[in-house]
Amino acid sequence: MTEALLRTESMSVTFGGLRAVDNIDFAVREGSLVGLIGPNGAGKTTFIDGITGFVPTTGRIIFDGHDITRLPVHQRAALGLGRTWQSLELFDDLTVEENLQVAADKQTAKNFLLDIVAPSRRRDRQSVEMALDVLGIRDLAPRMPNEISQGQRKLVSAARALATRPKLLCMDEPAAGLDTQESVQLGRSLRDIVDSGTSVFLVDHDMGLVLNICDYIYVIEFGMKIAEGTPGEIKKDPRVIEAYLGQSARQGEGSGT
Amino acid sequence: MTDYVFYLLLGSGAAAIIAALGLGLVITYQGSGIVNFAYGAMAMWTAFVYADLREGSYPFPIPGLPARYHFGSDVGSRWAFLLAMTTAAIVGLIVYLLVFRPLRKAPALARVVASVGLVIVFTSLVQARFGDTTVLRVPAILPREPVTIASNLTVPRDGLWLALIVVVITVALWAILRFTRIGMITRAASENEKGAVLLGFSPELLAGLSFVVAAILGGFVAILASPMIQLNTTVLTFGFLIPAVGAALIGEFKHPVPTVAVGMAIGMIQSVFTKLQVDLSWFPHYGAREGLPFLVIIVAMVALGERLPDRGAVDNWRLPAVPQAKMAPTTVLVPAALAIAGLVFLGPLWRGAIMTTAIGVVLALSLVILTGFGGQTSLAQMAFAGVAGFALSRLAMRWGIPFPIAPVLAALVATAFGLVVGLPALRVRGTNLAIITLAGGVAVAEFIFKNPGLTGNASSGGAKIPNPKLGSWDLGLVLGNKSSRPVFGIFLVLVALVLCLVVGNVRRSSTGRRMLAIRSNERAASAIGINVANGKMMVFAVSSFIAGIGGCLIAYRFGSVSDASFGTVASLAALAVAYLGGITSVSGAVASGIVASSGVAFYTMTRVVGSLGRWELFIGGVLLIFTAIQNPEGIAGAFRAQAAEKRVKKARRSSEVIAKSTGLSMDPQ
Repeated sequence: MTEALLRTESMSVTFGGLRAVDNIDFAVREGSLVGLIGPNGAGKTTFIDGITGFVPTTGRIIFDGHDITRLPVHQRAALGLGRTWQSLELFDDLTVEENLQVAADKQTAKNFLLDIVAPSRRRDRQSVEMALDVLGIRDLAPRMPNEISQGQRKLVSAARALATRPKLLCMDEPAAGLDTQESVQLGRSLRDIVDSGTSVFLVDHDMGLVLNICDYIYVIEFGMKIAEGTPGEIKKDPRVIEAYLGQSARQGEGSGT
Repeated sequence: MTDYVFYLLLGSGAAAIIAALGLGLVITYQGSGIVNFAYGAMAMWTAFVYADLREGSYPFPIPGLPARYHFGSDVGSRWAFLLAMTTAAIVGLIVYLLVFRPLRKAPALARVVASVGLVIVFTSLVQARFGDTTVLRVPAILPREPVTIASNLTVPRDGLWLALIVVVITVALWAILRFTRIGMITRAASENEKGAVLLGFSPELLAGLSFVVAAILGGFVAILASPMIQLNTTVLTFGFLIPAVGAALIGEFKHPVPTVAVGMAIGMIQSVFTKLQVDLSWFPHYGAREGLPFLVIIVAMVALGERLPDRGAVDNWRLPAVPQAKMAPTTVLVPAALAIAGLVFLGPLWRGAIMTTAIGVVLALSLVILTGFGGQTSLAQMAFAGVAGFALSRLAMRWGIPFPIAPVLAALVATAFGLVVGLPALRVRGTNLAIITLAGGVAVAEFIFKNPGLTGNASSGGAKIPNPKLGSWDLGLVLGNKSSRPVFGIFLVLVALVLCLVVGNVRRSSTGRRMLAIRSNERAASAIGINVANGKMMVFAVSSFIAGIGGCLIAYRFGSVSDASFGTVASLAALAVAYLGGITSVSGAVASGIVASSGVAFYTMTRVVGSLGRWELFIGGVLLIFTAIQNPEGIAGAFRAQAAEKRVKKARRSSEVIAKSTGLSMDPQ
């Protein structure tokens, strides 16, 4: 087994007295699509926040051979750790293309003087074009985020993260709010992303999506890992069925997805 | 020791004013969620109304009406009090209804701008109705005869009385908040406005009430204090208001008792500074009084974190929208060409207006970078400009550094100041940052600009500035017996033009995208690898550099620098005019240069309708409030909106078509 791209060693996140993420060991191998599932409030988003540096963690996080446990968010991003949000968090003042371009730009404040004279030079067009193509949103490029639909905004959000050319892309609930057909489409895009060389860590409610496309799956409940394995193993795990599948099925009936 | 107690007690009057204003700010914030920067100015108007009534007339605050109603003689303290307090209540109500109520759901920046507009309105009202305020003497209200507390310790009685009155009011207010139903509702609403609405209380009624109560309190204390202080346009507006903001911050804009205690402490310690300046040779003689509230505010915010709690209402620091990157060169080249033509062919008055406009454009550009692109606020922009102006004087006069280098170095000095003032921006944003920069600007103005040791002797016309010269080619405004030389104007226009292109390029470059990304969403910006702290410091650096260039241009124009050009009111006016023109674009900066006070638009207007004289500033303030309410993108934005309206509608329609054809739903929920 090769060295994992991302690895956590007993990572915990504590809010006051609450352990939102409790002692989780976790790994993503390069070139794989790893899923994380768990019921509402299980700590899935907090887990992503912890990995990407938005909440302080204990334990260790190793990414691409670097110990990133204490690094600020932007340095983790610079090492190749990208993420999306369930709430999308697009830059509303920039066009779709600029949203991607600002992600692709290499961060070099010292080039400011050159920027004044030649603003359009040395743009990384390739990453932008690639991201537009992988998500199939080329026709949205000149639009503002508030001019496009929610579904399209989701694609832009993923494309923006991709435009940073991450080694690992952490996606928080990308399928939330999509109908079945759209989430199948999304699954295909995610596979394309993995095939293009970016590993993906997918956090989602949509059990079907995760079981269908992921290579390896972690299940958490109340901040603790209750299972891990291939989709086949997860489907059979009695704890998972008890904690998550039953509840998910009931929820599915309720909301009609 | 007795001496120090004496100065402490001597400061009790000022302390009481600060405490009362702090209390009023707390009341306003609790009731409405608004930090009213114009609170001191409102109290000032009430005090002036009282003073005028004691001289036998009532001043009308509306241009066009007769200046005053004359009673013939002093109406007596009772009637004057009654009328002035009624005025205060009405002012509070009108300010709420006409200004802050329409802005309840507006971006916080719009509210800061509107209160700046109010400050300008009230300041200009006093200037228009009272002119020279030095002759105004208010007869004593509180008993004045000195009281002997201990041997060697005799102080005037009125300050102590005022302090006692404020303490009584505070206790009463605390009791009301604590034990009555209206107090409970107020506290509930300030914790969670939505919750209070659900319980059936009208937050608007509560907000209006809080404005009226605060206005009455401020007016009351201002009247009582008016015999003790020199009534002028700044003392209540800024001098007492800024320490009051500091005190209110310590009280988290929530707790009356700590607010009043801190306010009292600031006032009394400031008084002791007078003694320390005599006793301690190293104690700063300038700016110490103003520095104290600045320190209090910095400590309150940076050490204790964000002090203004979220009200659970829809209130994020949204900013006016930024137009897209493509910039038509005509938006700057055509005005520049017209300006140069005007400088060559028109008379000296027109030339003066064009020069003012060119400088106005530069100052507005500095705010386009800071607020428009960077999403930061500064009420100290003219302080940066002034620092550069004074630095230029020293560099050029004392060290003989030649023209193109000296102003650039001077602007770099301003950059250093900008970075220092910008540091708190790493911790706080929005209204809180406005508070910090306001206090910081005042401290810089007092500490540096009024200090003859740093700026040269004011009696000899301030610090001198030599003409800009390229080799032997003199670009100065005045040369020999020639004044208002067009070449100087062309120099200004070219500098403004170059900076316009620079700022336009920044917008189109990776630097600009990064600034806007941070402005839009700090979390997302850091997630794509942007160092947000660096980005913010960058914004402050570039902005204060451009402001510094603006300060140098002002200095070259007048041939000298004095604190008058770079005061707090000038900073507020700079933000106001930039916002009015359109703070998010280069074309907005051009527009704001044109509408700047004594710029091209105003000169044209005076040619057409005659001089507005003292009302010019007043109209500017009213226009500013109107812009804040009606059109947050300013004049340039209004033009753009008209042009873009059709385009957006078209885009909406086609986006629906695309959404259908790709099978993506418009809204999932």
